[in-house]
Amino acid sequence: MKLHRMRVEQLRQFRKPFVLDNLQPGLNLIHGPNESGKSTLVRAIRAAFFERYRSTAVDDLRPWGDSAAAPTIELDFEHQDKPWRLTKSFLQRKRCDLTIGTDSYSEDDAEEKLSELMGYQYPKRGISKAEHWGIPGLLWVEQGTGQDLEQSVEHAGDHLKSALNSLVGEVASSGGDDVIEAVRAQRDSLLTGTGKPRGDYLQLDKDRIQHEQDIAELNDRITKYQEQVDRLGKLSQDFDRVEAERPWDDARRQLEQTRERHRQVVQLEQQQNQEKATLAQLQQNQRLLQQNRDHLESVSKQLAARKAELDKAEQALSLAEQQTPALTKGLGEAKAAYETAEKHLKLARLLETRGRLEQDVQRLEQRKQTLTQNLTKAREYQQQVDQARQQVRENRIDADQVKQLKKTEHQLAEETIRSRTIATRLSWQLEPGASLTLNQKLLQGQGEQQLLEESSLTIPGVGTLAITPGGGELASTRRRLTGLQQAFDEQSKALGVDSVEQAENRLAAFDSARRALTHAEELLKTVAPDSIDQLVAEHREVEGELQAATHQLQAMARPDKTSPVPAVVEAEAAFTSASQVLDKAEVDERRHQAELLTRKQARDSAKAEWQRLADEEQNPERQQQLKQLSADLTDIERQTTRLQASVDQRERDIRDARPDLLRQDIERYQNTINNLLQTQEARGRELRDIKVRLEAWGAEGLEEQLNEQQAELEQCSRRYQELHRRAQALDLLLTLLTEKRQALTRRLQAPLQKHLNHYLSVLFPQAKLEVDEHLRPGTFTRGAELGQMAELSFGAREQMGLISRLAYADLLLEAGRPTLVILDDTLVHSDQDRLEDMKRILFDAASRHQILLFTCHPEKWQDLGVPPVDIQALKEGAGGAAALT
Amino acid sequence: MPRFLHTADWQMGRSYSRFDTEDGAALVEARFQAIEKLAQLAKEHHCDAVLVAGDVFDAQTVSDRTIRRVFNATQGFAGPWVMLPGNHDAALAESVWTRALRLGAVPDNVHLALEPTLINLQPQGLAILCAPLMQRHTYGDLTDAFSGYDSAQGLIRVGLAHGSVQGLLSDDIDATNPIAADRAEASRLDYLALGDWHGTKQINPRTWYSGTPEPERFRNNDAGNALIVTVTEPGAVPEVIQIPTGRYQWHQWRETLSVESDLDQLLQRLQALPESSVLDLRLEGSITLAGEDRLLSALSVAEARFRSVRCERSGLQLEPTDDDIQALKADGYVGEVINTLRQQQQGDHSEAARDALAILAGLLKDQDQGANQ
Repeated sequence: MKLHRMRVEQLRQFRKPFVLDNLQPGLNLIHGPNESGKSTLVRAIRAAFFERYRSTAVDDLRPWGDSAAAPTIELDFEHQDKPWRLTKSFLQRKRCDLTIGTDSYSEDDAEEKLSELMGYQYPKRGISKAEHWGIPGLLWVEQGTGQDLEQSVEHAGDHLKSALNSLVGEVASSGGDDVIEAVRAQRDSLLTGTGKPRGDYLQLDKDRIQHEQDIAELNDRITKYQEQVDRLGKLSQDFDRVEAERPWDDARRQLEQTRERHRQVVQLEQQQNQEKATLAQLQQNQRLLQQNRDHLESVSKQLAARKAELDKAEQALSLAEQQTPALTKGLGEAKAAYETAEKHLKLARLLETRGRLEQDVQRLEQRKQTLTQNLTKAREYQQQVDQARQQVRENRIDADQVKQLKKTEHQLAEETIRSRTIATRLSWQLEPGASLTLNQKLLQGQGEQQLLEESSLTIPGVGTLAITPGGGELASTRRRLTGLQQAFDEQSKALGVDSVEQAENRLAAFDSARRALTHAEELLKTVAPDSIDQLVAEHREVEGELQAATHQLQAMARPDKTSPVPAVVEAEAAFTSASQVLDKAEVDERRHQAELLTRKQARDSAKAEWQRLADEEQNPERQQQLKQLSADLTDIERQTTRLQASVDQRERDIRDARPDLLRQDIERYQNTINNLLQTQEARGRELRDIKVRLEAWGAEGLEEQLNEQQAELEQCSRRYQELHRRAQALDLLLTLLTEKRQALTRRLQAPLQKHLNHYLSVLFPQAKLEVDEHLRPGTFTRGAELGQMAELSFGAREQMGLISRLAYADLLLEAGRPTLVILDDTLVHSDQDRLEDMKRILFDAASRHQILLFTCHPEKWQDLGVPPVDIQALKEGAGGAAALT
Repeated sequence: MPRFLHTADWQMGRSYSRFDTEDGAALVEARFQAIEKLAQLAKEHHCDAVLVAGDVFDAQTVSDRTIRRVFNATQGFAGPWVMLPGNHDAALAESVWTRALRLGAVPDNVHLALEPTLINLQPQGLAILCAPLMQRHTYGDLTDAFSGYDSAQGLIRVGLAHGSVQGLLSDDIDATNPIAADRAEASRLDYLALGDWHGTKQINPRTWYSGTPEPERFRNNDAGNALIVTVTEPGAVPEVIQIPTGRYQWHQWRETLSVESDLDQLLQRLQALPESSVLDLRLEGSITLAGEDRLLSALSVAEARFRSVRCERSGLQLEPTDDDIQALKADGYVGEVINTLRQQQQGDHSEAARDALAILAGLLKDQDQGANQ
């Protein structure tokens, strides 16, 4: 399809007719500034095709303010070697005329032809919208929508496919997709996405299982019912048979017989027990009698023993008596020895006492003599002491005070000397007899005096001279001198002396007296350490003692010096030895006496025993008893033997009757009877139970229920099978339809992909853009980059959009469909490099398709290799047909 | 001139699982009506007694209601009824019969032969020798005992038994409960009324199976009858009249369609069936889409007309003709799918493919009709 010329009139700013003529088969660059009518021309082309001529919704075509306008568009184009002319007027004059070659169409027919040719729809009412635009919507790009490819492809959908169908020689199936949708909807009502049953189908399956369970349960119960019926039959038979046979009667008879036999045995056992008791009594009696006899027989034996014991005691006694004389003699001797030793000892002691007394007298006399001497001396020394003590008393003086006096005297002397040195010395040498009176004191001869104070010297006949001693210290010296003098006087007075010499003399006498006292006292002490009185007392005492000793000695008998007297020590030793011998002899004597007594008693008691037994043995009563006992014993032995035989016999009888087995038999028969009766009773009970149970179960109509359940199950299964088959069929159908549709789509994709690759290799040499099943460019790959086209940048998307559209155009061209490409100010977002590539692509595409490129940036496109058409220029030079140069 | 009605195998309490609930209920109901009809017949034909040769009940544990209804249905005939326990309702220690007695449902004129016995119907001139089944299965001939029963002079000896006559019936009948083929002769019976075989069948002039009065299976030959038996005097050959009693006729057709005329013929036969039909149809072979349309339409009509129609078509392949496909306007890949399904019908998933094809055809037709409207 090639557009040659377009003419518009009364259309927006083109109030006057405007003609765009001489359009080239390839690329046409149409430019003009904003508001120049560029977009109006695009709108005009769209309106000519898309809007129904009688539409009332195209007011936008009317020039502003011109209500009488009839916007008119005239298009001349060529398709399949036929010239087409379309004239369409809107609003005030609604018309549509189309001539194809020599054929003319008008109104709706014309519009149908057009839509068929281009592949689009008309709106049912109102203005035409994107969804109606079909293939032109894909190839005619409005300003700023170049990147929005998806919608356009979708709207072009069926047209595109039918165009492609002819290309690949396929039929896409009219309404095939609806069929798929219907099948899918039906399938999905039965199956889930993963092919599992759902809805009724699922429910039926569940119901089926439920029914099967119910049936199994019913079958179970029916089986039980039948078993119970069988049991009932068997039981009734058994019950009746047993009731007729009465097997327990037989057992009862046997029980009675056995009981009788058992009773007999029990009787035997009782007799046996009685006899055994009697026997035991006899035996006991026999034992007692034997014991008695044994006892009586034992007395003689005992008598002999007693006799032997008696003899033995007698012998022991006589043996002891024989020892008595020897022991008595020993004792006498010991006593005599003891007395002799005692006499000797007394004598020795007397001698010893006497000797000692004599020594005492001697010693006391010496002592008395010494004491008398000492006493004389002591009295002498006492006299000396008294004298010394008198001396001391008389010369008593304090040594310290003497010392103090001497010191005071010394100081006084020194002070006197000092006063003389400073005192006014008055020396005189008077003619003899001349006298002077100094201080009323008559001076004569020669002399000298120290004057320490004012003095008056009267020279008789001359007058009186006042002498006043000079010097500062004179007064104080004088005072001190006076003081010292006073002290000396006082001290002397206190001591009772007149001078120091006297004092010292007295002190010497005192010391001498004290020494004499000390000496005398020490002498005294040597003879009378304590005191003289003590000495006197001692003397008196010694005198007394001497007197007493002398008396004692005189009183003491004079020992007989004729017989030898042993020493005291020897006497004592002899005495001790004799005493010990005597003690031993006495002890032996006492022990012997005790032994003797004991043996005598033993002998006496043995004798008594013997006597008692001897008396008893000789008792005639005892002889009688013995005889009686022997007779009794013989009798009892006979009885015992007889009884024992009877007991043994009966024991055997009882053993042979086996009472234990008899008892077991009784128990056995009793149990048998009980069991038989109980079993029968149980049978009767079970019969009643089963009857009751069966009545209840029977009333439920189990088998009828089962029938009904089975019917339901069968219906359920049938319905399930139907749905199952239907689900399988739908699944199969859907799978097939989908597969076939996909296969078809893949076949359609191939040529589009080919054209797309052609352009893409120019724009992105390494890139791939895949076409999806809806024939849309989908996945975009460039190196490691992988993504959907929608994720690319705006510019890139616009470029992709454009090359995709060109690819569609190529595809449509191959299918023999019209391919006019209109681009309204496209690629405004492309950078210079990309734009260059796009220009190459456009130039290439223009070799196959007519392309109208509207732009307000002609400078960007000047290297497209085609002369630009300036709308503005055309308008200005217009009015009629404007020629392009 | 004693006359009695011989019937058997009522199988009361049976339900029909293969049918829809509604149809099943109607068929159950028909069995009760059959009893009423028997009573009616007995009355109309002046019968002296009605003899039921076993399997009155289908099971021991049917509901109380069923028991009561069965005995209620006998009210139309006031003469004596003799009912014999069969293998389905054997006279066990506890049985449907003991329950019926306990319920007090058994009218006085109904004699239950619960043990081997001779029932003397002196006024009617009949001596009924009964061989009831006392166990579910027996392996000996219960009718042996008949020879030992002495009936009163002048009475017609009629044996009443339930089981398989030895050597005469096909092998698929239970081998249990055997009956000697010469029982009538051997035991001096004037007539031996048998049950167990659901079709009416004569064994010999004195021995008959009456069959069930109302059919309940597709297989049986000649079911749905009762026999009116007249014996003029002891030893006389009985006169047996067969009277249809069935409400519904059961038909089971197995057809293979291969050419167009097969379908025409089938539809004509369908047309010719009476309304009281229970039809089980299984079709195999192949059919065109147009043919299937006709078939479905005819079946739809039949379902409304007949008691029950069931048609199994899974073995019937759809073979769309070019015209069919043209008519479906199945172009493009949908057309391919149709071809694939046609091929798959021959393969392993033939059933699914057939169904899928039918569904697709249906959809396309709907679509076409929608488009036309």
